[in-house]
Amino acid sequence: MFEFALDSNAAWANYKGHQNPALFKTLANGQSPKILWIGCSDSRVPETTILGLNPGDVFVHRNVANIISLTDINSQAVIEYAVVYLKVSHIIVCGHSACGGCGAALSEARVGGVIDAWIAPLKALRKTHEEELKSIKDDKARAIKLAELNVKSGVDALLSTYFIEEAIRERGLKVHGCVYDVACGKITNLKCGNAE
Amino acid sequence: MTSSEAKHPMSQYLQQNQDRIFENNREWVASKLAADPAFFEKLSSGQHPDYLYIGCSDSRVPANEIMGLDAGEVFVHRNIANIVPNTDLNIMSVIEYAVAHLHVKHIIVCGHYNCGGVQAALSHTDMGLLNPWLRNIRDVYRLYEKELDEIDDDGQKYARLIELNVLEQCRNVIKTAAVQKSYHENRFPIVHGWVFDLKDGLLKDLKLNFEETLGDIKKIYNLEVGTSRKSSTV
Repeated sequence: MFEFALDSNAAWANYKGHQNPALFKTLANGQSPKILWIGCSDSRVPETTILGLNPGDVFVHRNVANIISLTDINSQAVIEYAVVYLKVSHIIVCGHSACGGCGAALSEARVGGVIDAWIAPLKALRKTHEEELKSIKDDKARAIKLAELNVKSGVDALLSTYFIEEAIRERGLKVHGCVYDVACGKITNLKCGNAE
Repeated sequence: MTSSEAKHPMSQYLQQNQDRIFENNREWVASKLAADPAFFEKLSSGQHPDYLYIGCSDSRVPANEIMGLDAGEVFVHRNIANIVPNTDLNIMSVIEYAVAHLHVKHIIVCGHYNCGGVQAALSHTDMGLLNPWLRNIRDVYRLYEKELDEIDDDGQKYARLIELNVLEQCRNVIKTAAVQKSYHENRFPIVHGWVFDLKDGLLKDLKLNFEETLGDIKKIYNLEVGTSRKSSTV
């Protein structure tokens, strides 16, 4: 399995180099991505692949349940680097259906280890929107609703960050919230950012 | 939005950027369905990736793409300069979820040459919010100070620090209880260190000796036995 990944890398490099002989030469000179993607670590949501884009197009942060917490230095470092130094034009926060993190936050069971602490913001959202979530009888639909609420909350957090407010004012940075449906491969724009 | 704003060249450009994404996404879905009509149906039943990939946020290093793998095959975490700090709840949750819940077989820490994060850590600049994060790379330099100081060529020194950073972050992955316990019980996951070369698109395996590194680490960091997974796995 491991050798397989290295072999398929060689095939990929060959294929990409054949498609565009200048690709790797250009990449070695630097990056100027237009998009910062903040998404879930879930293997079914590979950003560059589902967006049909190329290496060099998307700067990426992926964590469990695409949680944006303003005191998380890991994601904050990524966002600051992308906005202040790379000057991306768009930030996309993307949640997805069948998210394990949302499922865990909707269940009464403890996950164990550090994950409960990480998904605490999802639990808090669940409490804030208890009535709305309870009224959804289907488990899958309820998890999608929580994923959407989480994206909106992440977008709101971004919009209240100092250097993002500045980039919006000075150069028209756009923040978008989306959800990806793993059952059909399509992205839906939640229109909850400053672009709409 | 007023009509004068809508006509602004920058607004038009941004709109085109955004439209392109949704168009590409529809094309990708169509191509997947043409090759396998049940592709998304299979994915929606759950994920069973064999790999956890921990790499850099850099746009030029798209995880599953460089591995030639498809949706559903790689669980991914990407941050500035592929760092694994032991107090970072974000990455510790990723590792724990991938190992204890998804039972991945391989964990890959993948760095890349020309890494902006490593370069920033080599410069003497106050970068505000980025300082505490980049400090982790400076700490790697301090651990290998003698070896790195002996390299005269700046380019080679930079490349070597990128490799050493990957190896050190692999050790940080192996220091977690989640990895130690799973390996003790199942003989997996195995941890690998790679460096991606932007110049040719090829991956270089740093050939980390997992068994040996695990053995060395356990002298001080052994968390294999003791408290149950319910109370702590990191």
